[in-house]
Amino acid sequence: MDDLAIEVKDLSFRYRQTTHAALSHVSFSVPKGSFFCIIGGNGVGKSTLCNTFVGLIPHYFLGKMDGDVLVNGQSIIDQSIADLSSQIGLVFQNPFNQLSYTASTVAEELAYGLGNRGVAREEMVTKVEAVAKLMRIDQVFDQNPLDLSGGQAQRVAFGSTFILEPKILVLDECTTQLDPMGADEIFAIVKRLNNEGITVIMVDHDMERVAEYADQVLVLADGSPVLQGAPAEVFGDPRLADFGVEPPDYAAVTQALAKRQLIQDKLGVTKDQAAALVKEGLNHAD
Amino acid sequence: MGSGEPVKSPIEKLNPLTKMLAIFCLGLATLIYPNSWLGLGIVIVLFGVAGMAHILKSFAKTIFGFGIPISLMLFFIQGLYSPKNKTIIADLGFAKLGEEGLLYAAKIVITLLVFLATFYIMNQTTYAGKMVAALTSSGINPQVGYLILASLNVVPQMHRRLDVIKEAQEARGVETTGGLWARLKAYIPLMGPVVMSSLTDAQERGMTLETRGFANTNVKRTSYIEVTTSKADTYLRAGLIIFLVAVIIISILMRW
Repeated sequence: MDDLAIEVKDLSFRYRQTTHAALSHVSFSVPKGSFFCIIGGNGVGKSTLCNTFVGLIPHYFLGKMDGDVLVNGQSIIDQSIADLSSQIGLVFQNPFNQLSYTASTVAEELAYGLGNRGVAREEMVTKVEAVAKLMRIDQVFDQNPLDLSGGQAQRVAFGSTFILEPKILVLDECTTQLDPMGADEIFAIVKRLNNEGITVIMVDHDMERVAEYADQVLVLADGSPVLQGAPAEVFGDPRLADFGVEPPDYAAVTQALAKRQLIQDKLGVTKDQAAALVKEGLNHAD
Repeated sequence: MGSGEPVKSPIEKLNPLTKMLAIFCLGLATLIYPNSWLGLGIVIVLFGVAGMAHILKSFAKTIFGFGIPISLMLFFIQGLYSPKNKTIIADLGFAKLGEEGLLYAAKIVITLLVFLATFYIMNQTTYAGKMVAALTSSGINPQVGYLILASLNVVPQMHRRLDVIKEAQEARGVETTGGLWARLKAYIPLMGPVVMSSLTDAQERGMTLETRGFANTNVKRTSYIEVTTSKADTYLRAGLIIFLVAVIIISILMRW
């Protein structure tokens, strides 16, 4: 399908030397240009799923895989990780493990992936400067990336992925090292890229953020998809707590207002939605 | 070969491959030449080169620090006990000092010093990234280049991790200083977590490299680090090769 960035078809995966399946009969699709979030408790297979998108499963992590994942219509089985890296980028949790360990400056680190693609030096320099500015790491341009703080290193990790201009961006709990303001800045950039047509797939435990950015939310439990829909739909589902997921606090506030019949039976899951509903409730109370 | 930027100098500006060629040509010429005088001359010239590279003090320290003890040891062993000794130049009572042994010792010392001096200058004046970029552009496997650079960076990172764990242990009241027994008691339990977390880190680092096209075999790699071959490089390379060829010819003629 031309309008799908990712298509997961009855995917199951069990890591080598384990007996329990990390993923079991997972099927869903991510439309091109969408902001898709995957949530669930710890150890339910979110990161495993992310690893399949970029081809680390089945090419890097060995195990038994059934089903298929199509990235822009092509199976991950038929493509190498290097081929997939031109379409899809992954940022994960620990920034220091996302450094190449070959670079002595931030600029060299940003350029590493471009070098592996044979990009001409002049083009590389232009792109590195632009990304460093975008990620606000231009002031540490000549520093060793290993000497940076966790937050700065995570910006470098983001920059090193953005610079490869992937059409799909996979973010696996990637803002844990950032302070709230830093995380907001990064997500503003991610949202901007999403508005420009980049598909974003995000795994996050911050439900406020998921509610604010996601077009679609997929809930995983024990390696299988259990809920999928728009944020208001998923966070309004009474079974959510059974899957180890707490809805955003805003949802609880608006649910309480609806229970007292101060507002219509609507669920606000973002700050703006909740504020509008609280205003409506206050007007009703007056 | 430091991972940080060396001090700017005319020597630093040279292409790393020129410096490697210098190690090869000067070392080989010293080895081939029948006596030690050529090597001695090269070492003296290298002091001038070290001065140009602004590393004279540390260079002299390394050369004398290595040269003096090794010379004394070799002169003693070879001068007094070499089976080559035929011409006795001094009788020390307990042993006789032979000319042939002394000359042989001088040759070994001077050859080692030429290799040490040239390698030291390259090491101190060449940024590791530039060296790898030069090697990669000359056709060496990029994975070999990765191994060189990663080895330089991973060890300091493991030190940092150990320091973090050490500080965390100290904050919990564990004594990490003092005698050998106290240190062993503090550090042995840390080894497991350090090794295990290093293995996990290595796996994640592998993932990162793969997703950035490390295994890409379809293209010729490029580098952010600019490696140029200047006129000075061209002349120097030509000069080094001519010098080596001349030394080979002269050495053959001298032995004939």
